[in-house]
Amino acid sequence: MFSLLSESIKIAISSIISNKTRSLLTGLSIIIGISTVTLMGTLISGLDRGFDRSMDFLGKDVLSISRWEWFGDLEWWEVRNRPRIKIDYIDKIKERSKYAEAVAPVLQRGASLSRGDLGARSQIFGTTPDYLKTTKYGVAEGRFFTKGEDRSGARVALLGHDVAENLFPNQDPIGKYFKIDGIRFKALGVMEKQGKFLGLFSFDTQVIIPSGTSQRLFSKRGFLRISVKVPEDKISESKDEIYGIMRQIRGLKPKEKDDFAVNQTEAFESTYNQIKFAIGGVGIFITVLSLVVGGIGIMNIMFVSVKERTKEIGVRKAIGATRNMILTQFLMEAIMICVIGGVIGLSFAAVLSLIINQFFPSTMPIWLAITSISLSVFVGVIAGVVPSYRAAGLDPIDALRYE
Amino acid sequence: MSGLISLKKIKRHYDVGGEKVRALDGVDLTINQNEYISIMGPSGSGKSTLMNMIGCLDTPTEGTYEFEGELVHEMDDDQLASIRNRKIGFVFQTFNLLPKATALRNVEVPLIYSNISKSKRLKMASDSLVSVGLEDRLDHKPNELSGGQRQRVAIARALVNNPSIILADEPTGNLDSKSGIEIMKILHELYTNGNTIILVTHEEDIAMHAKRIITIFDGKIKEDKINKKMTKAL
Ligand SMILES: Nc1ncnc2c1ncn2[C@@H]1O[C@H](COP(=O)(O)OP(=O)(O)OP(=O)(O)O)[C@@H](O)[C@H]1O
Ligand SMILES: [Mg+2]
Repeated sequence: MFSLLSESIKIAISSIISNKTRSLLTGLSIIIGISTVTLMGTLISGLDRGFDRSMDFLGKDVLSISRWEWFGDLEWWEVRNRPRIKIDYIDKIKERSKYAEAVAPVLQRGASLSRGDLGARSQIFGTTPDYLKTTKYGVAEGRFFTKGEDRSGARVALLGHDVAENLFPNQDPIGKYFKIDGIRFKALGVMEKQGKFLGLFSFDTQVIIPSGTSQRLFSKRGFLRISVKVPEDKISESKDEIYGIMRQIRGLKPKEKDDFAVNQTEAFESTYNQIKFAIGGVGIFITVLSLVVGGIGIMNIMFVSVKERTKEIGVRKAIGATRNMILTQFLMEAIMICVIGGVIGLSFAAVLSLIINQFFPSTMPIWLAITSISLSVFVGVIAGVVPSYRAAGLDPIDALRYE
Repeated sequence: MSGLISLKKIKRHYDVGGEKVRALDGVDLTINQNEYISIMGPSGSGKSTLMNMIGCLDTPTEGTYEFEGELVHEMDDDQLASIRNRKIGFVFQTFNLLPKATALRNVEVPLIYSNISKSKRLKMASDSLVSVGLEDRLDHKPNELSGGQRQRVAIARALVNNPSIILADEPTGNLDSKSGIEIMKILHELYTNGNTIILVTHEEDIAMHAKRIITIFDGKIKEDKINKKMTKAL
């Protein structure tokens, strides 16, 4: 049985080779189908991993108060007309909230960093020591600044991992000086490496300074959000509470709409799921379509192949091939066309996913490769079974007489 | 001499557009081991039909067929395939080799169907090709061989499984007389080595190579005689 199978594969391959163009054209749809499904799977699984990491990055239990919703559908001018978030909200929230475990401002703006000849454009953000409680990532080396340093507006900073490497290549930055927009700062420490958020931007390229310093030195009209760490098992209660406090602060009447936003990673998740389903839906549609088209093409080619080789089938039967042997031979040919198409599609997708990975997290999991090859085999069987069955059922004498 | 084949009242009818064609119309025939038989008759008399019947490619509409004690007329497709594979060697007028395969691979195919291991297969196939004098043509494809050589490959393929009987339907029909004589020499050799051979031909001088000559007409055996002036192809 084994030698018969390997023989069938050999016959199939030689028949495919002798009809290269035809086989390639028929296999094209399979190539497209398999690359689509693999690419889609790769993308989604890459997104999933990147997404999970990124969600860690933000923290599920951190609420972020800002002027706009992360995934809001407001017009830009509506958001523009909203009052700014003010730094003194922090004390009010701390005072009134029973859930808030830590409240920290994040005052963000662009700045240029320099040290001697070295320089870089970066984001800096001013915050307080409470910030450490609102993130999973701590100080890798050195120390964070103190409340005193924050109040006094000390010119000290913590460097993101990449910033430290860029400004202080092969050196320990702690205690050394560098400039932010021309103003001298002392490096207190380096933050833990965080990686890229959704593969798009990274806190590793940012610099943290005391919020007091930020307000004193740089324009107060930067962009401010407030991070509130809440208990992990009380997220929705906390959210309701924060909404209430913010409405109080803003003095909104019950009928008035919110003029601020309380964001949470959940918002990302639902939007992310929508994106995922969209990619999945389109991918599955293209895959199914091209596999059906490919399957029909292969069925057609197999009918032609059976017809062309009627005489051969007769000869094979005359020298002792049973129905099943002929069936196996032709079925194997259909499967081989699909599997070869599948392998090409898979390689194509693998190369493409490597390229995409430069911009976006995408990694091809092994189960996906196995699934798509199995899918090719499945299409081959479905497309090949009727023509093969016809070949197997040919009457040997009629087949031998066929010219 | 022991009984190899026994056909009793074999009929093979075809329905063509409501009309009955009696390709074989009651054939009784017994063939023993190591016989050399030629079947003669005019075109359409039923020679090929009889040959296909004996070769288990076809089953009778009526009648019984025993092959080495097994009842062929009761066999299913797979049993027929197996008997063709192990017991019967076919040689066709048009050679019927696989065009893309080398001589060696062509001869190997029946052994694949009888599930013989690769190394044994190669040995048997090349031995068989050597026995028909093609030791230096193992890797040639059919289109790289002369007609006579192709027919010798076909004979090697027919012989490779050590069949009980060799059936040759007009084996020289597509060959020039010189190649034809070579083929007849090989068949004669096989006969002297103890093989059983049935040969279909409509050429008198080819038929004269056999020991026994059967003439059929309109699907019936008209004459069945021992050939006293057997030609020995040398
Ligand atoms: N598949 C078929 N359907 C209908 N009639 C058939 C079929 N096969 C053979 N016949 C008929 O059976 C008869 C015997 O055919 P067969 O092929 O045995 O003749 P033959 O003696 O081999 O002739 P030739 O010398 O021309 O090869 C013919 O009349 C032929 O038309
Ligand atoms: Mg004939």
